Amino acid sequence: MGEIGVNHFLFLSAALFIIGMMGVLIRRNILIIFMCVELMVTAANMSLIAFGWELNSLQGQSFALFTIAVAAAEAAVGLAIIIALSRRVRTPVDVDEMRTLRD
Amino acid sequence: MDLINLNLTGPDWSLVVPQLIVFGLALVLLFLDAFLPNERHYTWLTAISLLGYAAAMVALYWQHGEDRATFNGAFRADGLTVFLSVIILSAAILSVMVSASYVERLEGRMPIGEFYVLLAFSILGALLTAAAGDLVMLFVGIELSSLATYVLTAFAKRRVTSVEGALKYFLLGIFASAILIYAMAWTYGLTGSTNLDEIRSAIQDTVAGQDRQEASLLLALLLLTVGLGFKIAAVPFHMWTPDAYDGAPTPVTGFMSVVPKAAGFAAIVRIMVQGLGPMRNDWTDLLAVLALITMAFGNIVAISQRNIKRMLAYSSIAHTGYMLVGLAAYQAREGTGFGSGNGAGSADLGVSSVLYYILAYTFMNIGAFAVVAWIQHRGRGMTLDDFAGLASSNPAAAVAMTIFMVSLMGVPPLLGFYAKYYVIVAAIDADLLWLALAVVILSAVSAYYYLRVVAVMYFNPPERQLGASSTWLLNAGIAVMVIANLALGLFSSRLVDLADRWTGALT
Repeated sequence: MGEIGVNHFLFLSAALFIIGMMGVLIRRNILIIFMCVELMVTAANMSLIAFGWELNSLQGQSFALFTIAVAAAEAAVGLAIIIALSRRVRTPVDVDEMRTLRD
Repeated sequence: MDLINLNLTGPDWSLVVPQLIVFGLALVLLFLDAFLPNERHYTWLTAISLLGYAAAMVALYWQHGEDRATFNGAFRADGLTVFLSVIILSAAILSVMVSASYVERLEGRMPIGEFYVLLAFSILGALLTAAAGDLVMLFVGIELSSLATYVLTAFAKRRVTSVEGALKYFLLGIFASAILIYAMAWTYGLTGSTNLDEIRSAIQDTVAGQDRQEASLLLALLLLTVGLGFKIAAVPFHMWTPDAYDGAPTPVTGFMSVVPKAAGFAAIVRIMVQGLGPMRNDWTDLLAVLALITMAFGNIVAISQRNIKRMLAYSSIAHTGYMLVGLAAYQAREGTGFGSGNGAGSADLGVSSVLYYILAYTFMNIGAFAVVAWIQHRGRGMTLDDFAGLASSNPAAAVAMTIFMVSLMGVPPLLGFYAKYYVIVAAIDADLLWLALAVVILSAVSAYYYLRVVAVMYFNPPERQLGASSTWLLNAGIAVMVIANLALGLFSSRLVDLADRWTGALT
């Protein structure tokens, strides 16, 4: 077993990213889709920090901080939309119920 | 170990005045919303919004001709910034004019102050994206623009369709953002910087040396295309578009068909042309294929739509395709572009044709949605049948709608024709004859669904009378857009020349 290097982090981040993406594509529950997107964002943050560590620059880490702030804003907006919907629809957490609008 | 390489010079605030004005406008609106008596909200906030955007437009005049970066290269004041900012601010002014009375009378809405605040933040995000010189800035700008638009989509919060459209837009939007961040992380990791100019020079070395990094850079490029493809509604990343456009209040639909799309194209031009320019052989092919399927899908599916808003949604997908043709024709050639040019910098027909197209698209598309809003004001719905006999009951509105439809179709001498003309010329110039042919053929296909609206207005008998409604601001907005569609085409060579000269600084 060698030393833990940047590649290990990149592989972990890629794995998390793919798990998150699969979750978005497969799951039907809105909240779980939302959590999977957050997982993808976290994976991207991990890549940013790993690259920053490898490149010896702080740009990656500061980018990650901005990303976290944006993700928080996304969560606020998203949960607000879900709450607004839950007042109108009986089972708002299932995306298959979202079919008022269609061709 | 020199971990931080900071250049501690203060930012040049004089370069960011237009953006600061819009930011200030958003804050002022927030305060007035809280402290002004409710019955004055509508008049005051509308007037202040219009004044604020106009002031920002005036302040742009001093940015004209600059080519400088500040905030450590994160903010660029160059020709591209000015051109895109003019488009975005025009869209802002027109959106306020179109939406004011509609939003005021919308049932089950949020307070009107919030509408203007969200609009201002969305505009600010788009302006920042257009001016971004750094991946971080670009990302924050595009997110600010999108997040505000998600909420605007859900503005009629007691109507299920509005919130449902917002939810679909939101879920796919944040999915795209996550892909975008991951792509940016890889771009940063492989080139060693988040600054677009430094990325460019790093890639120049990689491409020249044929390093093994090429493969992972291609992956990053692919992910970037997917992420930005969602934002501009390119096929196959368009699934949210018809539902979000259909669900949102009509003036918001007009707004979101233009401003977030302009921000998305600004991001593509900044990243692809400015940052990844040396890899253009890779991404122009990708965009050419994307352009073809986007145009084909949008135009063909639009034919079967009876709902005007869904029809315009698919038509806006088709227009994304036409704009992508211009980008696919990017070739960074040396020499001058259309007209005289200045001869010094390298000009490119591709990017300037896209910029001109976005300008034209702003006036055509907001116009079409404005007429739909005008009809809805008078108690009609938004299906094709609601337009029946409009020509006999209100000839002026029918003429306006006809002009927007025919301009979207691309008939000379209207604005839409010139926009398509320059895109086609750029495509032919870049040896993309098949793509130019596709634009022509698919424009002919689009005639079917655009002209059907015109035919219904003129030849079908009216079903019932229009209700009376006073909407002078909306009428003025429609008049401005009609005039722009008729007249701006005449100045097209001068406008494209400007775009040309300004994009020359990019390459």
